[in-house]
Amino acid sequence: MGTFLGWSIKRPSNLTKLILVVCASVALMVADSHDDQGTRAIRNIVLRASYPLQELAALPFSAGYEAFRGLRTNTRLRRDNARLEAENRQLAVEASQAGALRAEVTHMTALLHGAPVPGYRVSLAHILDVSAGPFSQRLTLDEGAHNHVFPGQAVIDVHGIIGQVVSVGPHTSQVMLITDPDSGIPVVSERNGLRAIAFGTGSQDRLKVPYLSVTADIRPGDVLASSGLGGVYPPGYPVARVTEVTSNPNLAFLKIRAVPLARLGYHTHVLLLWPRKASKGQGMRHG
Amino acid sequence: MDNPLTLKQRALIIASFLAAMILAIVPLPSSIHLLRPDWAALVLVYWCMALPERIGVGSGWVLGLFLDVLYGSLLGEQALAKALLAYLTLRFTLRLRMFPRWQQSLAVGTLVALSDLMLIMIKSLVRGHPPLWSDTAPMIANVILWPFLFGILREVRRRAKIS
Repeated sequence: MGTFLGWSIKRPSNLTKLILVVCASVALMVADSHDDQGTRAIRNIVLRASYPLQELAALPFSAGYEAFRGLRTNTRLRRDNARLEAENRQLAVEASQAGALRAEVTHMTALLHGAPVPGYRVSLAHILDVSAGPFSQRLTLDEGAHNHVFPGQAVIDVHGIIGQVVSVGPHTSQVMLITDPDSGIPVVSERNGLRAIAFGTGSQDRLKVPYLSVTADIRPGDVLASSGLGGVYPPGYPVARVTEVTSNPNLAFLKIRAVPLARLGYHTHVLLLWPRKASKGQGMRHG
Repeated sequence: MDNPLTLKQRALIIASFLAAMILAIVPLPSSIHLLRPDWAALVLVYWCMALPERIGVGSGWVLGLFLDVLYGSLLGEQALAKALLAYLTLRFTLRLRMFPRWQQSLAVGTLVALSDLMLIMIKSLVRGHPPLWSDTAPMIANVILWPFLFGILREVRRRAKIS
């Protein structure tokens, strides 16, 4: 019992209270479902009051989660590290391959664009095998009789003459390099037209030019180009540069050393030359 | 009933409600999420049974309002359900006290289920959520939990000499 504004009132019964709060609840729900400002204010107030509850509810879990994440992060970092290292190794390999490929592309582009030899048809050939010894300097190419390769065919690269085909299989062919001890190539000095023959020495970076008399006008730095004599090699193509000229009074001839201009020890592709006039030079060898 | 509660006793009751609310919103894995009992409802039922003169419809309503905000549900739906639950409990409190424990837990489970039914109706009316069979899982959890919760809260009440 109590008094309210002078009236004596009973404590409201539970049913009365229930009816009251049901009305209040329905009112709240209706207002809330229409996104009312007032209910939002109530929600915010209650939310602020209950914020510590939410923090408390999340606390053990967030703490456990943090600890667990610390552990997991460690193992994951190790795993990631291992994985990334493996990946890096693989990528490095791929990158080096890419570098090799790029070099090859550059080389082949140069071969295709930089070697138009007048009167000759050219074709790329892949080097299958190299034998570079003091008694034989040979290449094996992946082109053979099926590709119309013939013995005595000239083989060049961008920088100069490499050698000639000496034997032909159905699908492969052997190339004797100009540095082979059996090889000789008729050359002409670009500076003054002096004719000579450059012989191989069995060493990939050296040619010798014998049989030039001591009075011959030849100097280190002279570029020797193929003369075309003998018909095997295309004329006017660079062969070697003279590096050393020694004159011995006791000998009849000069001792001349030259370095091949073709990069015999580089790259994996060379060019085969076919004379446009098929009759010319077929089967002839100069050696 | 005329001996007013001390501050400490009031704080204890409020703390039990707060604990129930925390348990109600503690994040659980979705596998056992369905089996989460309605902690707040059970604590409310207990205090309504123990202190029918002090804890009642109004307390239930305020509790429901808090739950509404914590759950992010429509403001008033939990309040309505909990007020109804408090009313039903007060209505049957004398009978509930006399029941043996297992019967009591079934009866309490039924009361909570009634208030849950209210919630499900409101949800399907207002938001178009269809009633699901999975809604009954917490009701079963309530029945299982009740005897233990009753024992704990009675022990707390006796130690604190709340009556």
